[in-house]
Amino acid sequence: MEEKTMIITPSRCTACRTCELACSFQHSVNGKPGIPRIRAFMVAENDGHVLTCFQCDDAACVRVCPVDALSRDDATAAIEVDPARCIGCGLCSIACPFGHIQHETEDNVAVKCNLCKGQPACVTFCPTKTLEYK
Amino acid sequence: MSEKTINVEINGRFFQAASGDTVLDVARREGIEIPTLCHHDGLEPFGACRLCMVEITHKDWKGWSGLVAACLYPVEEGLQVATDNDAIAGARKTVLDLLLARCPGSDKIRRIAAAHGVTKTSYKKAPHPTTCILCGLCVRVCAVKGANAIDTSGRGIGKKIAIPFRQPPPDCIGCASCAHICPTDTIRCEDIEPTGSAGGVRKIWGHSFEMVKCDACGKPILPRKQMEYEAARSGLDESYFSVCASCSQAKTFKTIGTAFDMEGVQ
Repeated sequence: MEEKTMIITPSRCTACRTCELACSFQHSVNGKPGIPRIRAFMVAENDGHVLTCFQCDDAACVRVCPVDALSRDDATAAIEVDPARCIGCGLCSIACPFGHIQHETEDNVAVKCNLCKGQPACVTFCPTKTLEYK
Repeated sequence: MSEKTINVEINGRFFQAASGDTVLDVARREGIEIPTLCHHDGLEPFGACRLCMVEITHKDWKGWSGLVAACLYPVEEGLQVATDNDAIAGARKTVLDLLLARCPGSDKIRRIAAAHGVTKTSYKKAPHPTTCILCGLCVRVCAVKGANAIDTSGRGIGKKIAIPFRQPPPDCIGCASCAHICPTDTIRCEDIEPTGSAGGVRKIWGHSFEMVKCDACGKPILPRKQMEYEAARSGLDESYFSVCASCSQAKTFKTIGTAFDMEGVQ
């Protein structure tokens, strides 16, 4: 499979936060919207910036996880959380230098961007093509 | 991932499993429900709660069948498994009946027992009721963290989760993973918010751990002892653990915003 990358072009972002909404719905559990794994920040009016996990090569989150719940998916090269293995110690979200891992307190598990297994919902819904996956 | 080459039969349906899979692994993967109390995928199977009992047999076993704990039993070629029949329901009811006698105060146990049709215990209530079900999740999570601060002590009815010599365990790093994973909220962990110049404190197992404060917002993140321990274990610098997740994110936006010459990033 040809390897794809998430490309973010900040100059196109209007901080409409459609990506956050799409992410929330994509990762909803039992009908409840999930924590968005992607965040858009308003910089000035109609000018924003969007950030999500960088899927680091030597990732701090993977290094600190005591139960190997974080692993790299072969197909997408994204680092994924296995919620069944996660013990909810919260170390990965502290260790990530970019703050890209959230802790879902209700289920006591870590959540992060997994590129939707190769079909990122944020990219599908981004109206300005700030987000591209190619 | 190892190849799935073993054929097993669960409730009359056929599935492929890999060598080393347990009956519970296969059932969960295929969406067949088996109740558990002491199982966690990230930890070693333990076989403490006996709620995952299933009946197994094999065509070469000349009609022999028996109840085993699904979390511990490795699959083998031609294994036939039943996850729900009268014998299994009876075994699970006995377990829940005993747990109700031991932990009359636990809502979770009462809820699970009621779901299996056990609303009150037929045994004499324990003289010293507890909410600890001895599932051993706390002990195993402590072991996987590498701290090994707590363990079980005694046997039979005297068995309990204990700390060495009833003193605050010297190996405890204050991560509170034991308290987070405890299914019945038996393990007490108290986080005291910082007041004035005093930093936050975490109280667990008789210890009072000093908390590391976030460099940016001052919110307590994790105990200093845990930070030193995790930094040494992972080989990461201690600075990785000194900023909280939301401040890390804000910092990233600031850095990227500056790089793209954006003004007024919050």
